[in-house]
Amino acid sequence: MNNKAKIIIIDDEEVILDSCTMILAGGPNDVWTASNGMKGIKLVEEVQPDIVFVDLKMPGISGMEVLDQISALDPTIVTVVITGFATVDSAVEAMKKGAYDFLPKPFTPDEFRLITRRGLERRKLMLETIALRREKEMLRENFAAIVSHELKSPLGAIQQNLYAFMGEPLTENQKARLERMKSRIEDLIKLIHSWLRVLSVDIEKIKENFTTISVPGLISKAIESVEPHSDRKDITIISKIDEPISSIEGDEVSLVEALVNILGNAIKYSYTGGQVIITAQEKERHLELSIADTGVGISKEELPFILGDFYRGKSGLMAEESHGLGVTISQRIIEAHNGRISVESEPGKGTTFVIRIPVVQTKE
Amino acid sequence: MTQQKKLLIIDDDPDFVEGIKSILDAADYSVEVAYNPKDGLQALQTKNFDLLLLDIMMGRGAEGIMVARKMRKDPKLREMPVLIITGIREQMAFLFPGEPVHPRFVQVDELVEKPVEPKLLLEKVSSLLQAAEELKSRAK
Repeated sequence: MNNKAKIIIIDDEEVILDSCTMILAGGPNDVWTASNGMKGIKLVEEVQPDIVFVDLKMPGISGMEVLDQISALDPTIVTVVITGFATVDSAVEAMKKGAYDFLPKPFTPDEFRLITRRGLERRKLMLETIALRREKEMLRENFAAIVSHELKSPLGAIQQNLYAFMGEPLTENQKARLERMKSRIEDLIKLIHSWLRVLSVDIEKIKENFTTISVPGLISKAIESVEPHSDRKDITIISKIDEPISSIEGDEVSLVEALVNILGNAIKYSYTGGQVIITAQEKERHLELSIADTGVGISKEELPFILGDFYRGKSGLMAEESHGLGVTISQRIIEAHNGRISVESEPGKGTTFVIRIPVVQTKE
Repeated sequence: MTQQKKLLIIDDDPDFVEGIKSILDAADYSVEVAYNPKDGLQALQTKNFDLLLLDIMMGRGAEGIMVARKMRKDPKLREMPVLIITGIREQMAFLFPGEPVHPRFVQVDELVEKPVEPKLLLEKVSSLLQAAEELKSRAK
């Protein structure tokens, strides 16, 4: 193991190879040289250098091709082209291809040292960036596991004890309060599950289990699942299905989840006694589903963020516990079905989400 | 019930155990607890139990799996019904690709997620006990 920088110089002029080697001698580096492109590439494969100097004009394979091959081997290797005055244009060309810099001949030892130092710094930064990116990915994956265990475990323990309490003799008032605690913790656990879904679950995987789904069935399942919430707020859900509608290809559980999230939001942001209207129709070989509420609406400033990464709306009306994760998850599910979701809204009047998903070609 | 059934819980979270144990106590089971896999295995080998409630994520990882593996190799313990109680289903799916919900550690087992509703818990416990008994009587 050594931490010395590995430098390769590829040039057909022996005097360049010798002088460069001499300039770098004694520094914290190891230097290899090659007198043509073929030998140079072989050396790059063996040594896995940090930086490679390549003469553009060499007999045999050209410097440009050497650059291409190096970047195919390992794009993080920093390349610098050495060029005569007449080939500045091709040096520019080389940089467009990914070379880091160019060194015009003739050059002074200081110029060479400077460019070497900068090249090595560049290489270090590139490696660090890659390492950081990998770390970020790992954190993201591990985060899911950490969240699940570290947050869920204590909540699970609390919940389990509340469950146990419920079976013991209690006054009505105690029972009611325990029931509230239980339901709040249930919400927290659900929220953690949503987080996990956003962070760790690869939604594209649902594509592996696509089946043919009937649209009216899908809608009624989604409505069924939000009914307890709408009943509590005295909100009427009206569904208008413009039959016949062709079936769609998809994963039913996920699609119901996607609809439930949108419907749930519509209910959450509606005024008591309001209406939520679902319409479904087939248009240009697409299922077009719209979910419209007459609730608080979304301001113009907030609207662009609703379908970005997850976002939590902060409208005038303080809604019940809300988390913007739902819409994000729905969006991902719909996109996994080759569909699209859009939103329109007017503050104080309401919000409409429109989902478009391609239908199965043959009409039944 | 003719005879009080003996249950063992292996779980490293004493607070969770407290919650689950009081439900089982109230249902007139005799419940013992081991707070780590080592004590758990020792209890299994030295005493007789009718059913094991086993946590998966203990200590540094899925140490519950180790307990299940050892049980599977032991001709006597192999027949004991196990209720697997785990914090997270997704991790189970990860540990047992292709067997997302029901890993089949031993002959008779079931899986529930933490926290588990009392009704579901008692249902699973009694159905596992029954299944194990039927298996035993058929073997005779």
